[in-house]
Amino acid sequence: MKNAQPKIDALHLKRRQRKESFFKLLMAASAFVVLGCLGLILVTILWKSLPALKLSMITRMPGSGYYLGKEGGILNAIVGSLQLILGATFLALFVALPAVVFLHSYLQKKSFLAETIRFSLDVLWGIPSIVYGAFGFLIMITFKMRASLLAGILTVAMVELPILSRAMDETIKLVPEELKEATYSLGANRWQTTTRVILRQVFPGLVTAVLMAMGRGLGDAASVLFTAGYTDKITTSLFQPVATLPLAIFFQLNSPFPEVQQRAFASAAILTLLILIISLISRSLSRRLSRHKIL
Amino acid sequence: MEGQSRLRIEKLNVYFGQNQVLKNINLTIPEKKITVVIGPSGCGKTTLLKSLNRLLDEQEGVRVEGRVLVDGQDIYQPDIDVTQIRKRMGLLSQKPQVLPMSIYDNVAFGPRLLGVKARQELDELVEKYLQLAGLWDEVKHRLSEPASRLSIGQQQRLCLARGLAVEPEIILGDEPTSALDPQSSRNVELQLLSLKQDYTIILVTHILRQARRLADYVAFLYFGELIEFGPAPEVLTVPQDPRTRAYITGEIS
Repeated sequence: MKNAQPKIDALHLKRRQRKESFFKLLMAASAFVVLGCLGLILVTILWKSLPALKLSMITRMPGSGYYLGKEGGILNAIVGSLQLILGATFLALFVALPAVVFLHSYLQKKSFLAETIRFSLDVLWGIPSIVYGAFGFLIMITFKMRASLLAGILTVAMVELPILSRAMDETIKLVPEELKEATYSLGANRWQTTTRVILRQVFPGLVTAVLMAMGRGLGDAASVLFTAGYTDKITTSLFQPVATLPLAIFFQLNSPFPEVQQRAFASAAILTLLILIISLISRSLSRRLSRHKIL
Repeated sequence: MEGQSRLRIEKLNVYFGQNQVLKNINLTIPEKKITVVIGPSGCGKTTLLKSLNRLLDEQEGVRVEGRVLVDGQDIYQPDIDVTQIRKRMGLLSQKPQVLPMSIYDNVAFGPRLLGVKARQELDELVEKYLQLAGLWDEVKHRLSEPASRLSIGQQQRLCLARGLAVEPEIILGDEPTSALDPQSSRNVELQLLSLKQDYTIILVTHILRQARRLADYVAFLYFGELIEFGPAPEVLTVPQDPRTRAYITGEIS
């Protein structure tokens, strides 16, 4: 009878270890699914696009007969996407940053207004981008605007706004209350505390939020479908239509010609590469900007 | 003592929602002395400290009644500029809270808020207050380094220097050595002892030995009430109230 207790313990221990091994395996498998997804997408795109991946894809504009399989590239869409995304991100940031600062520095944490703003942002985040596209289209009709870079920028800015605001909101939430108190106790008012200390502390996080929103906006096709239009030229005015990479993919993929379909995948590879570059910049920037950040 | 004091607390009641945290506190803080507030955890020590520079304003659901008089002026009057009040009281928190910038910029932060822009003047102020906090010799060659790279004890002395640089009249310390190793604690204590010639210091602590080492006056708080206040030797050795006696002998903690 004396030895019974250790036996049960040993049995229990074994069962616990087995249980842990099982769940560890399950979690590792999930992690591999994540990696596998990314790998599979990248490999498929690259493999499919290989025949069409030439330097001319990114240095030339579509020539006549491009969509029938003749020479040319998608420089128009690359430049157009960058024009659109820079404009939209700047505009979204212009609204999101003051809104988030107001939320944190001038509203009480659990106040009705703060909760309502956060809830609205969450709802806006969940709205599919085609709805933003349709909304932008309606606005355009109301103001008798044509599909243009400006309309595209406005619509994509709307898509980016909730992403940017909530990401920044979550970043600023992590600022320790004691840091604010320390700054207040030096005689700083809220504005000074926010601009000179809090934003400095969260700057790396804000950069990440901006680049995340950029990545999302860059790849969004539905919001620009009706609003930005498409053109085979490089856009030089806010009021002209603009080409974008997601639509370049969409149009080329719809083509019955295999050469053009291959170019659609090449365009997808270029878009993915752009997003990858943005992610890498975001990582390296946030690491470099963290020099003064306190933990 | 009364005539020399510039900081007086009258009938102070503080509520967090329905919960009354401070109950009818009346206290006159002696000038250029170290007043140590002792008491068990959760008795309202920190709240009392934060009520003095109106940091309680930043907490939600807090209601303050009564008066805190600085030079006869009630700091809870609605027309008071709260930043001016806070500037007069340097705060040392439990965990040193350096600002996300260089060592130099941490100390220069307050003077810059006050409008000091000339580089030479800032240089002088930074050196002066780092000296005063006993940190200058350790950091004079690395002023541009991030403050977060300092050891935790150095960070606390940096916070002291930063607080002194706004030229406060009163130093508030909220268990400022609780996160530090014994040697760093000793350094901070020595700085406080030397600073009391020029500053009125109010220190919250739960370490009785620290109270014995530093205090000129002791206030004992218990469940939000000020039980006893007087010169340190009296309160710490021959307390009048049985609750103070119980706390000092370790019967309640």
